[in-house]
Amino acid sequence: MIKISKLSKTYSTGTFTVPALKGISLEIEPGEFVAITGASGSGKSTMMNLLGLLDRPSAGSYILDGMDVSNLDDNEYASLRNRKIGFVFQAFNLLPRLTALKNVELSMLYAGIKLEERRKRAVEGLTLLGLEDRLHHFPNELSGGQNQRVAIARALANQPAIILADEPTGALDSQTGLEIMSIFQELNRHGTTVVLVTHELNIAQHSRRILRMADGLLVADEEVTHPLDAREELQALREKGAEA
Amino acid sequence: MNIGELVLVAIESIKSNKLRSFLTTLGIVIGIAAVIAVVGIGQGGRAMLMTEMEKFGTNLFGLWVNYRDGESFRIDDLSINDISVIKENVPQVKYLAPVTYNQMPLRGSKGQKTVQVIGTTAEYAQIRNLEMAWGRFIRDDDAAVGRRIIVLDEKTAVKLFGPGNPVGKRVMIMSNSAVVVGVIKSDSSMLGFNSQQVAYMPWSFLCRLTDWKVIHELQGSAESKEEVETAMNLAKKILERRHNAPNHYYAYSMEQEMQSANKVTGIMTLVIGCIAGISLLVGGIGVMNIMLVSVTERTREIGIRMALGARRKDILIQFIIESIVLCLLGGFIGIIIGYGGALLVAKLAKWPPLVSVWTVVLAVGFSMAVGLFFGIYPANKASKMDPIEALRRD
Ligand SMILES: Nc1ncnc2c1ncn2[C@@H]1O[C@H](COP(=O)(O)OP(=O)(O)OP(=O)(O)O)[C@@H](O)[C@H]1O
Ligand SMILES: [Mg+2]
Repeated sequence: MIKISKLSKTYSTGTFTVPALKGISLEIEPGEFVAITGASGSGKSTMMNLLGLLDRPSAGSYILDGMDVSNLDDNEYASLRNRKIGFVFQAFNLLPRLTALKNVELSMLYAGIKLEERRKRAVEGLTLLGLEDRLHHFPNELSGGQNQRVAIARALANQPAIILADEPTGALDSQTGLEIMSIFQELNRHGTTVVLVTHELNIAQHSRRILRMADGLLVADEEVTHPLDAREELQALREKGAEA
Repeated sequence: MNIGELVLVAIESIKSNKLRSFLTTLGIVIGIAAVIAVVGIGQGGRAMLMTEMEKFGTNLFGLWVNYRDGESFRIDDLSINDISVIKENVPQVKYLAPVTYNQMPLRGSKGQKTVQVIGTTAEYAQIRNLEMAWGRFIRDDDAAVGRRIIVLDEKTAVKLFGPGNPVGKRVMIMSNSAVVVGVIKSDSSMLGFNSQQVAYMPWSFLCRLTDWKVIHELQGSAESKEEVETAMNLAKKILERRHNAPNHYYAYSMEQEMQSANKVTGIMTLVIGCIAGISLLVGGIGVMNIMLVSVTERTREIGIRMALGARRKDILIQFIIESIVLCLLGGFIGIIIGYGGALLVAKLAKWPPLVSVWTVVLAVGFSMAVGLFFGIYPANKASKMDPIEALRRD
């Protein structure tokens, strides 16, 4: 699915340069659930931006879904982002003036899908995430968890090869965060490749593989033998709530 | 992504911020409204002027004495015999009549009034397309028999005799009297040519009254519009020869007058239209200004769209279309307001509002062009954004 080798990224801000990534090699197979952790400034977001084709590496190669993308132009990047990658952001990044439905339609719009089909698929996606009665709400009329679910529906709309989520639970309380994690786990069970960045170990424990970054380098790559199950945790929380 | 979809996106975005959209396009609204109103009023006024002038007959021409420095008035500059000579020798001349002006106090049974009395002959009625309200105009035999008659216009008739048919009644002119034989319909012209109150009497009668055989002007009409030029020039030549006075006469035609009036009103419309056009330009700069602000404000939106797969071209076109749609919207509102303005002025001035299809097409095209031109720079700026930078902005 993803194969990067000796990928590096150096930001130059006027007088001095910041090496954000210092040569990272990595492979992610289809169907994996990977969490990237590390201290603030260790290069996690930089890495995600490169994987998501939002940015270009300073050096190294990147093979996405069997295709070397190192030498593609902006238009091809845009098209690959559209078809292969679904982004989920910490800040949701929904368009505030569009309804949930329209927001979900957006990525399909750029895929050239006809309005009728877009509408149908957006409704399906939102229904799947339990938002069937929030289709015509604007982001400011929805809770954080609901907004993030809209964002996930949008990321999934074009049936991407991979979901890239940078701190998707960062702006949510722990229970809502768990709800989002259970969605990712559910998606992953059905075969979607998920890569998420988090600095919360607890969140990372829901993945099946944890990559640890420090100072622009990959310092650990561990399998999670017994991932936490967000659905069970939520169940337990609810029972505790009911007892109290 | 096809253009239709992008138009929808643009409309969506315009709708989502109605107040700002309206304020953005206000300059275009005002500019287009001004252009439409000015051109509409101008064209209406011109059409009005032309129909008014046509009422006099487009075949009309006149011959005057052209007094130059040091020349003094001579009583025999135009003589009654000139008329028959001209008519015999110039087949293009259909009618020709003498015109002598004199201010005279007229008194009737109900009142009195000093009016412009025109001494002329029967053909004058044909030359000036005069219509009778009552009775008849001067006839050829009136002069021959020396009848003491007068033809009034409606306003004068009312002034002298009150409403009703005054034919057969007597008008006192100083110590003389004349019988009313007819009343001319007063023209409702707004141009003022005919609004002056006038009365007509046979030229010979007027001469007898004033004891002065003078002709101020010859007025005639040609067989057709095309022959006016020839008719008046030949007539002028004959006058020059008969009076042995080269360059002593001046000829004018309604056709010439109309052409110059047409030119003047056309130039005026153009000049005022240009000024209105400048306001459109200012409006366009306003649109660009707000579009630039809007692009900056919507940086994050641009970043999100890019992350979702919008190509730079999609962003570019989206913003250009937004600008065009905004300006078109302003254009349409402007057309309605401008047309309303032209209609109002036309109604007050009693002339036809004339907003031609071409003016509207031009206005629509122009507002589109303004939208395109002033949208390109902001749109280009939007499309050049770096997706990560844009996403990071809040
Ligand atoms: N546009 C930029 N210009 C200059 N330096 C940058 C830029 N973006 C990131 N950096 C630098 O690159 C390094 C890695 O940043 P990055 O955002 O990837 O960290 P992170 O691991 O995501 O941190 P956090 O957990 O706080 O989000 C940091 O030192 C940061 O200052
Ligand atoms: Mg980060």
